[in-house]
Amino acid sequence: MANVKFEHVTKRYGDVVAVNDLNIEVNDREFLVFVGPSGCGKTTSLRMLAGLEEISEGNIYIGDRVVNDVPPKDRDIAMVFQSYALYPHMSVYDNMAFGLKLRRVPKAEIDRRVKEAAKRLGIEALLDRKPKQLSGGQRQRVAVGRAIVRNPAVFLMDEPLSNLDAKLRVQARAEISKLHMQLGTTFIYVTHDQVEAMTMGTRIAVMKDGLLQQIDTPQNLYDRPDNVFVAGFIGSPSMNFFEATLTGGDGEMFVDAGVFRVKIPAERQEPYKSLKGKQVIFGLRPENMHDPEYAPPGIHQALVESKVEVTELMGNEVIVYLNAKDKSFLARVDPRSKMRVGNSVGIAFDMDRFHIFDKQTERAVR
Amino acid sequence: MKYGQRTFIFTFLFIPVLVYVVFVAVPYLTSMAVAFTKWRGLSMNITFNGFNNFIKLGNDENFWNALSHNGIALIALPIVIIIISLFFAFLFTQGIRGNGFFRVAFFFPQVMSAIIVGVLWSFVYHPTIGMLNGFLGILGVSSMKSFPWLGDPNTVFGAILAVTVWQAVGFYMVLFITGMESIPPHFYEAAKLDGANSIVMFIQITIPMLWESIRTAIVFLALGAMDMYAIVMIMTNGSGGPSRAADVVPRYMVEAAFQNGEWGYATAMAVVLMLIILILSILSLRFTQRETLEF
Repeated sequence: MANVKFEHVTKRYGDVVAVNDLNIEVNDREFLVFVGPSGCGKTTSLRMLAGLEEISEGNIYIGDRVVNDVPPKDRDIAMVFQSYALYPHMSVYDNMAFGLKLRRVPKAEIDRRVKEAAKRLGIEALLDRKPKQLSGGQRQRVAVGRAIVRNPAVFLMDEPLSNLDAKLRVQARAEISKLHMQLGTTFIYVTHDQVEAMTMGTRIAVMKDGLLQQIDTPQNLYDRPDNVFVAGFIGSPSMNFFEATLTGGDGEMFVDAGVFRVKIPAERQEPYKSLKGKQVIFGLRPENMHDPEYAPPGIHQALVESKVEVTELMGNEVIVYLNAKDKSFLARVDPRSKMRVGNSVGIAFDMDRFHIFDKQTERAVR
Repeated sequence: MKYGQRTFIFTFLFIPVLVYVVFVAVPYLTSMAVAFTKWRGLSMNITFNGFNNFIKLGNDENFWNALSHNGIALIALPIVIIIISLFFAFLFTQGIRGNGFFRVAFFFPQVMSAIIVGVLWSFVYHPTIGMLNGFLGILGVSSMKSFPWLGDPNTVFGAILAVTVWQAVGFYMVLFITGMESIPPHFYEAAKLDGANSIVMFIQITIPMLWESIRTAIVFLALGAMDMYAIVMIMTNGSGGPSRAADVVPRYMVEAAFQNGEWGYATAMAVVLMLIILILSILSLRFTQRETLEF
């Protein structure tokens, strides 16, 4: 068990900056998820922590020790690779025991640890098999098992679920979360999938173009995104954005997006007063747009006229693709909604849940 | 089989099968028959000789001498060539400077014929004007001045084997480099995290994952060791070396057939050699067989 710290960490490949001045403190026993699109620097950050990439600038700490020049094997970490990297010529048992043998752990202890991990992961029956005789899900378990037997201070996982089918991924997600709770070890997990990040992480670090955009708990990232990127990346379907101007006077304030003009409730006006007359980005999540008939009671609604272009019935909800004067956006409405393709409808914006971002800096205004 | 497909296949197969039968199968079978005869190769006078040619072979010291040299090559060549090739392949996959040049330079001897290689190295080994003795002279090894590397029974076969190694290393190096470069780097990364050093990684990761290439090399080199005709002919002026110290079965076979006119006897030698090669191939394939790896 250990905490991990990235202190002004930068990674350059020639002129390309893959990770730019990264500062993160991961607490002991925490499950931190790095999330972001391809090329955002999340895997590079993990690999620097693992010792598989050199650090161009800054320091990485595991516990109290700077590990910049410590070889991977001495960092007290174990890693699950995206491809699992199971040695194809070794049995499942040998794959799991390999690291322990190299560390000269007594044979009986190796046997005990491998069997215990195999039991925990439900792969006892597979110990004599070679990786090619295993399914994707079984390989993933073996890869996790190989990490568990080492009993490391920090677990690193680099997109370990991306090779699984959707159903298995959901199941494996829960298993990894359970494992984290049982082992009580620091987990650092990399994924491009925001659903994985939201469901597994105690905190999430959102990255883009090598820069840390925001690090916070899943709920805070969802409720209080720091910028347009985080707001759009977290949540599925993504938040709707509209370029707008804040207008009004005499205690009233409106978001005027051209295609609609909606009123900001009095109790939420304060932070935006200085932006009156300025251009902003107005953000509202699809789940905060309702069919007026089924809108939650007590919310400040603002009706926006739009046309239904497509509807996707999901059973528990309907995703409605709407268009208001050539501006398209999405709403997640109640499954009982009678909105049909081609209908002109009034969609209720929940004005208690909107977000405003500065148009120039794209940063949230609160 | 669909209508017409059979005719189509037979049409394509007819010519290659015919060529194979006329130029491979018939000579093989004929030589099997000739091995049981006494024939001087020119006359129509062929007499049946039973197993006498084979019995004579068993008592022929020159044959056993030649076969022992093939045996030594069989052990030495695969081991030495594979070890050296693996070493250079490993070296040239570490991203060192100029490795493109070295790869070509090491491969170059492979594109030269055994005749040219033999002539070239005969000059290198020359007692008085040879580069090797000149070089040893520069190093101050005066005892080797004018030493006849190819004229001394103690050194001639070793000298020829060294040339064979020199010629073959480049090819197997390239074979191993290709194999090594196809091993995904994440296995090495996983091994690094598991605590493996370079030697452990080489033995535990590289060798097993390269096994198919190594196996191919063992089989090729084993078969090559049973031949060595061209290089021995050239470097010993067709004699098999002083006191036959570098003789090999194929060269002795040619001597028996073309110099001594013992075609029946030479063919018996060919049949024995063929059987040895057949057994060797089966054994080397069987003993080197491993599960096919997927990665």
